[in-house]
Amino acid sequence: MWKSFKPYALIAPQSLVFALFLIFPLVMIGVVSFWQFNGYAMAPDFSLDNYLGIFTSLVTVKTYLNTFKFLALVWVVTLLVGYPVAYFLAFHVPRLQWQILLFLLCTIPFWTSNIIRMISWLPLLGREGLVNQVLMNSGLIHQPLEFLLYSDFAVVLGMVHLYIIFMIAPIFNSLMRIDRTLITAAADLGAGGAAIFREIVLPLSAPGMAIGSIFIVTLVMGEFVTVRLMGGGQAASVGKLIQTQIGSLQYPLAAANAVVLLGVTLLIVVSILRVLDIRKEL
Amino acid sequence: MGNLSRRHMIRTGLAAGAFLTATRCAAPKGTPNNPATGPEVNANKAKDVTLRLIGTGVSQINEIRDKAQKDLGFKIEMRALSTEENNQIAITQPGQYDIFDGEYFSLPLVIPSGNLQAIDIKRVKNYDKIVSFFTNGSFKGMPVEKSQGTAPFKVQYLKGSDSKEFSPTPTEYATMIPFQYNADTLGYRPDLVGRKIESWGELFNPQFKGKTSILDIPQIGIMDAAMVAESLGLMKFGDKGNMTRAEIDKITGILKQQKAKGQFRAFWKTFDESVNLMSSGEVVLQSMWSPAVTAVQAKGIKCIYAPLKEGYRGWGGGIGLSKNLQGMQLDAAYEYMNWMLEGWVGAFLGRQGYYSAAPETARKYMSPEEWAYWYEGKSAAKDMVDPFGKTLAKAGAKRDGGSFETRFGNIVCWNSTMKENTYLVQKWNEFIAS
Amino acid sequence: MAKRSLSFYVLLVFFGLFVLFLYGPMITIFILSLQGPDGTLTFPIRSFGLYWLGQVFREQRIGNFVEPFGRSLLLGLLVMAITLVASVLASMGFRQRFRGSGVIFYLTIASLIVPSILVSLGIGIVFQVMGWQTNWFSSGLGAHLTWTLPVAFLIMLGIFNRFDHAYEEAARDLGAGDLNTFWEIVFPLIGPGLLGVGLLTFTLSYDEFTRTSLVSGQDNTLPLEIFGMTTNVTSPALYALGTLTTLFSASLILLAYLTYLLVMKRQRT
Repeated sequence: MWKSFKPYALIAPQSLVFALFLIFPLVMIGVVSFWQFNGYAMAPDFSLDNYLGIFTSLVTVKTYLNTFKFLALVWVVTLLVGYPVAYFLAFHVPRLQWQILLFLLCTIPFWTSNIIRMISWLPLLGREGLVNQVLMNSGLIHQPLEFLLYSDFAVVLGMVHLYIIFMIAPIFNSLMRIDRTLITAAADLGAGGAAIFREIVLPLSAPGMAIGSIFIVTLVMGEFVTVRLMGGGQAASVGKLIQTQIGSLQYPLAAANAVVLLGVTLLIVVSILRVLDIRKEL
Repeated sequence: MGNLSRRHMIRTGLAAGAFLTATRCAAPKGTPNNPATGPEVNANKAKDVTLRLIGTGVSQINEIRDKAQKDLGFKIEMRALSTEENNQIAITQPGQYDIFDGEYFSLPLVIPSGNLQAIDIKRVKNYDKIVSFFTNGSFKGMPVEKSQGTAPFKVQYLKGSDSKEFSPTPTEYATMIPFQYNADTLGYRPDLVGRKIESWGELFNPQFKGKTSILDIPQIGIMDAAMVAESLGLMKFGDKGNMTRAEIDKITGILKQQKAKGQFRAFWKTFDESVNLMSSGEVVLQSMWSPAVTAVQAKGIKCIYAPLKEGYRGWGGGIGLSKNLQGMQLDAAYEYMNWMLEGWVGAFLGRQGYYSAAPETARKYMSPEEWAYWYEGKSAAKDMVDPFGKTLAKAGAKRDGGSFETRFGNIVCWNSTMKENTYLVQKWNEFIAS
Repeated sequence: MAKRSLSFYVLLVFFGLFVLFLYGPMITIFILSLQGPDGTLTFPIRSFGLYWLGQVFREQRIGNFVEPFGRSLLLGLLVMAITLVASVLASMGFRQRFRGSGVIFYLTIASLIVPSILVSLGIGIVFQVMGWQTNWFSSGLGAHLTWTLPVAFLIMLGIFNRFDHAYEEAARDLGAGDLNTFWEIVFPLIGPGLLGVGLLTFTLSYDEFTRTSLVSGQDNTLPLEIFGMTTNVTSPALYALGTLTTLFSASLILLAYLTYLLVMKRQRT
């Protein structure tokens, strides 16, 4: 009796937290998304206006496209940069202590407030910032580069800087778990470096990449702080749209947008999960 | 059994209560459980009162809090928020504050929420010293009397003590007591612009492409945009402060065009963003708040707060009382209000370029040179130093735009919450997202 | 790994550049926080000094760092404690198959992938509709848990998957009860892992901004206070704070690393 009941008792505290602070709030968002807004408060109602507004607005489409653009860019860059870094740590750094130390070195910046990390780009990338000063003084350019700050470039740069660890860590983890004898065996059988990488390392690190990608998707899809600070308030993203609506108290509209955002995010994540069952990979 | 024991419990409880009361009475005077009677009680209790303020960084300044606590004897907690958050909390989280330090344009949203209580103006000592425009809508026959938008006077009074409706004529019940306000306009970097800026229309001048910025708070930004559009003859408004849907469509359409053309470098939402944009040279011409201009100047960078031929956009801030306040706390809140109007704060804010609601009381705390510079528009007889020790103006400099009368008198529109506010916000978001 | 291939050097350079990219802004703010009283937020630097580092501990013109820091520290510890207990329990529950485990598993994943702003909005709406007051130690705590719990849980699952059950069974054969087995056998084995998870949880909470943004109530956590101050303050005290918090975290990490080395050493001997 206790044996079959035990797992439920053990998962109870965690499930309670989720029920209270995840499910209930999400249900409320769903409910409120059908409510009305009277200018200063929300009023219980059942109306599809909020959704109609979203699906018929060209701006929503544009905003989503823009968010996808950020997502795609950030995903590609974090993967292309994160993978070699994780690979270097896992295969080229000799001892475990060193691997861990270097990995920790990569994590230290992530312990500083995100906000401060973003503000610190300003003196670097601004029109009169360090990068422009150096480039101008070296005679490489004559006009300051304006795209460095308050642009889509800056937004992507900021997000990559903020989130790349979420890509590196799972890849590093899955690379570390690859059985080294496999590689030695393949090499003994005459496989070249490229073949080993393609046939063994890449497939076995796929779960890490998938988990990293899921992190990137969820972090970027709801992102609004970076978009605002690095984009100079000009760049649009779904998160920022929701944030602006919350700012002007239009909770029902924000809730409806949130429901759509959640749907889209889940769709992307589920399609990643279809390719790969991450539960097996833990 | 249950019944009996319950009754027993009650009896024991009563006895214990009586016993406690008896011992309390017997206890020597002045112990913690039994404060001494008489006026001291109030004094003691007043020290226990804590007033929680919410407001923007303009006035939620620790120096003001410290001085108030010292002068008044009770505790004050201040919370600095962005304009947006401030309104949001005022409307949705009435339990989080005792005093709302906000802007007049937010009142058409805050008052219907019922979160503020009417202020009994009989209890406000210096009410008669407040600039007449706030209390009765007149100001020496100057243009401000016909200004459009949510002018403070239009939302200054309530119809009754429990009313949620604004009264167009003075009553005894005020929504807020004003204490700071200003006439806003465009700020620019003379070193980077290279000439004088004299019209709102310059904001869309292709010469400054990619170097201008506008304020991303719909109720404020739309007014700046309207001033620009009107000045360029791009469109006309029936009432800028109360646009129709068609007018909102048109003006946001114009804004979208400008954005697509790359006219703006960035949008700013908060004080510091505008300062950073300007001082880092990212932007050379933008809508700005007066203390932001002084903050740029304090960094040793030339920045002019342009007096423009079309007039100014005004804003006014004041403090309102939460409906939750009562008894001791309410008394303390009125004390605080009277203290705000007493002059010290007025002078403190005055030295940063804001105007006080009761200038005459602030004058007592300012040196004649300061008064001449900030209010009379005369050239500074000595260096003007702000309360934080930074020199804002060297001797000989003059305040941009001149005296209080010419600046305030030429306000032609105010930050506005229109009837179509929800629609405006929606359209504005589209513009920002476009 | 005796001879270093070309790819080693290429990747080494790549790694070096990456670290430079990571630390570039950090170094910038480090330098900018060492300015004299006339410092600004941008280059060029007019004078050097420790003025702004000192300012962090003083009262600011608006808001202050010290109280929110205390709050974030306490909240981080609270979150860490609850997360550790709940995630260890839950992951132990997952060591045997039970009906509904799939649902719970995907619920946990969901908690991780629901965009942060939704969690904040949702909790905010719940508290508003119910007429409750939001506070950092109630709604804020809950918001943090939705973020730290799934992370900790997934890591704990991984730890338990690689866990040798033989010891445990031996203890049970010798007649030890659940509780005894846990304290005597399981806990020492997962100890180092717990240390890591605890630290990670603490940081996640200490840094969390988005999920807290709408539900912190009237007292700000440190990231919120910093954000609030960036909107009103334009002094290098912000950078100084960044420098100090980085040093604080770095020393925490160093401490964890040394502990780890020590544990490894002891396990080897």
